[in-house]
Amino acid sequence: MSERTRDQAQQSNGSVETSHHPATDPERKDKGYYGIPPIKHAHWTWQIPVYFWIGGIGAGVHLFSTIAQILGHKDEDLIRASRYTVLGTMILSPVLLIWDLGRPERFYNMLRVLKLRSPMSTQSWSVFAFGTLSGLISARQAADDGLLGDDNLLVRLVKLVPARFLSILSLPVGLNVGSNTGNLISATSVPLWARNWLFMGPTFLASGLSTALSWLSLVLHLTHSGEKKTMHTLHRAEKATILIEAGLIAASLIRMSKWSKPLFSREVAPLFVGGTLIGGILAPFALLFGKESRPKSILASVLALAGGLAFRFAIIKGGRISADDPEAYFTFASGDSAPQPEDKV
Amino acid sequence: MATGFLTDTTVCIGCKACEVACKQWNQLPADGYELTGDSYDNTKQLSGTTWRHVAFIENPKKRRLTGDVDLVALAEGVTEPLPGGAELDALGRWAFMSDVCKHCVEAPCQQACPTGAIIRNEFDNVYIQPDVCNGCGYCVPACPYGVITQVPHDGRAFKCTLCYDRQKDGLEPACAKACPTDSIMFGEVEDLKVIAAERVQELHDKGYSRAYVYGTPEVGGTGGIGGNHSKFILMDEPETYNLPRHPFLPQEKVKGGTIASMVAGAVLGAVVALAFRDQGR
Repeated sequence: MSERTRDQAQQSNGSVETSHHPATDPERKDKGYYGIPPIKHAHWTWQIPVYFWIGGIGAGVHLFSTIAQILGHKDEDLIRASRYTVLGTMILSPVLLIWDLGRPERFYNMLRVLKLRSPMSTQSWSVFAFGTLSGLISARQAADDGLLGDDNLLVRLVKLVPARFLSILSLPVGLNVGSNTGNLISATSVPLWARNWLFMGPTFLASGLSTALSWLSLVLHLTHSGEKKTMHTLHRAEKATILIEAGLIAASLIRMSKWSKPLFSREVAPLFVGGTLIGGILAPFALLFGKESRPKSILASVLALAGGLAFRFAIIKGGRISADDPEAYFTFASGDSAPQPEDKV
Repeated sequence: MATGFLTDTTVCIGCKACEVACKQWNQLPADGYELTGDSYDNTKQLSGTTWRHVAFIENPKKRRLTGDVDLVALAEGVTEPLPGGAELDALGRWAFMSDVCKHCVEAPCQQACPTGAIIRNEFDNVYIQPDVCNGCGYCVPACPYGVITQVPHDGRAFKCTLCYDRQKDGLEPACAKACPTDSIMFGEVEDLKVIAAERVQELHDKGYSRAYVYGTPEVGGTGGIGGNHSKFILMDEPETYNLPRHPFLPQEKVKGGTIASMVAGAVLGAVVALAFRDQGR
């Protein structure tokens, strides 16, 4: 019996605590088993947030260019940049996704079944369909641009592709690529993600559109192409989308309430507060106001694009911290905060 | 017919024979030799290579021996006021609990799996087909109990199969077979429910009023999960055993989230269309 324990025993009429391990100290209020996380975090590495970003850009660019076509806005440079961008994102996306698999050689098993309740399944099918359609659309663009050679059989065949019709047809699938990433992470047991099931998809879509508009305006500026009215439209849409994105992030934070804490942790705050809120929303918004100028617009685009990437990393990293925190999960899975079948909202 | 486990933690002696039997039968690799320094439990948690895990819970709440304690009487299960004003917190002095996959009735991992690798087999157990799994890892954060993990080096996700191969041959799972105190019982879920209810009643009659079944649609199998085929008899709050009190089926809100996203898509489309205003002329 140690000196301290003997003193305690004398003071308390001979009663002694039978355990003295700090982790089982009765004064401790935290619950759980030696702080071991009760759920496991996703193992996803950098490829996943980068895919979320790139997929969002593809979806947003497609939305903008399709609406431009529907409204009869004829700017060949915009349509060309959009179609090649979407093709690029839809080539990179599956590469990143397959790269992250534990067994990449089995990627095709994703297309073995279609499960509407599994956002990972619908996402795989959406990327597959959107990628195929954007491949066809871009082929038509390449034929029109003369990239496939002059008058040969391939060119004549590809020129049969109804590009505008396919653009409209692929719009819902493209939008799903942009928003479903948010639904994918919220259909998990991770408090930070699951709590925000209502706004996660919309926020990802709005952020995707904001990065997409920035990308288009950046490309058109750097290549000195695009009509003046296109640039003007892009700026107007950018400002409105950034506002919507800011509103959705605010709504998400309110909804996440105390489970949003990881976003403000030392590890994630630089990405979320610095990269997303200040660098990706406030700064570009301020730059886009006032007189339009090329350098200002380019800087705003770069900032918004970087902010979108920071946002994806912040959400994924925040989710990891949230999953590793027993207190967060236990409080989430003990009260009324966790989504229940009977909940409407 | 649905089969499952009933793990009665009140008779678990923490021998970890189930862990060893599981590793042996399923030829699971070692997890390394690591001392946690927390307790005598050095395997810590369930994982893709540990499908049974025995937790050693030292819980000193009210654990105070006062006065002249008759240890023999204590060991015999006396729960009335003890001689000499001694206090003891029932069975709580040192709790063991052999954790395992809960084999949920509505399994979140199975709903999450995009390849259809996770299925319900003919015994109504949740089973990962190793020849189909491509290691996307989406089942891992979907599981509300932290059961599944992806095994590094292999790439695929693994968890308890409820010894599918043994059941096919009419044998009980390795852990249940090895358990020396019958803390782990295997059988048809309906039979196990009855056994669990009887045992909890027996414990209540003996004065252990805190005993309850975990894995029912009320506790531990909540939020759309619809109960678990692996049930537990517990003597303390679920969190003490690192279990969530009211877990939920994460896929319940996929539909709602998708509808919200559609609305957002329509609004953003309208905003873009409005931005084109006056530009056509």
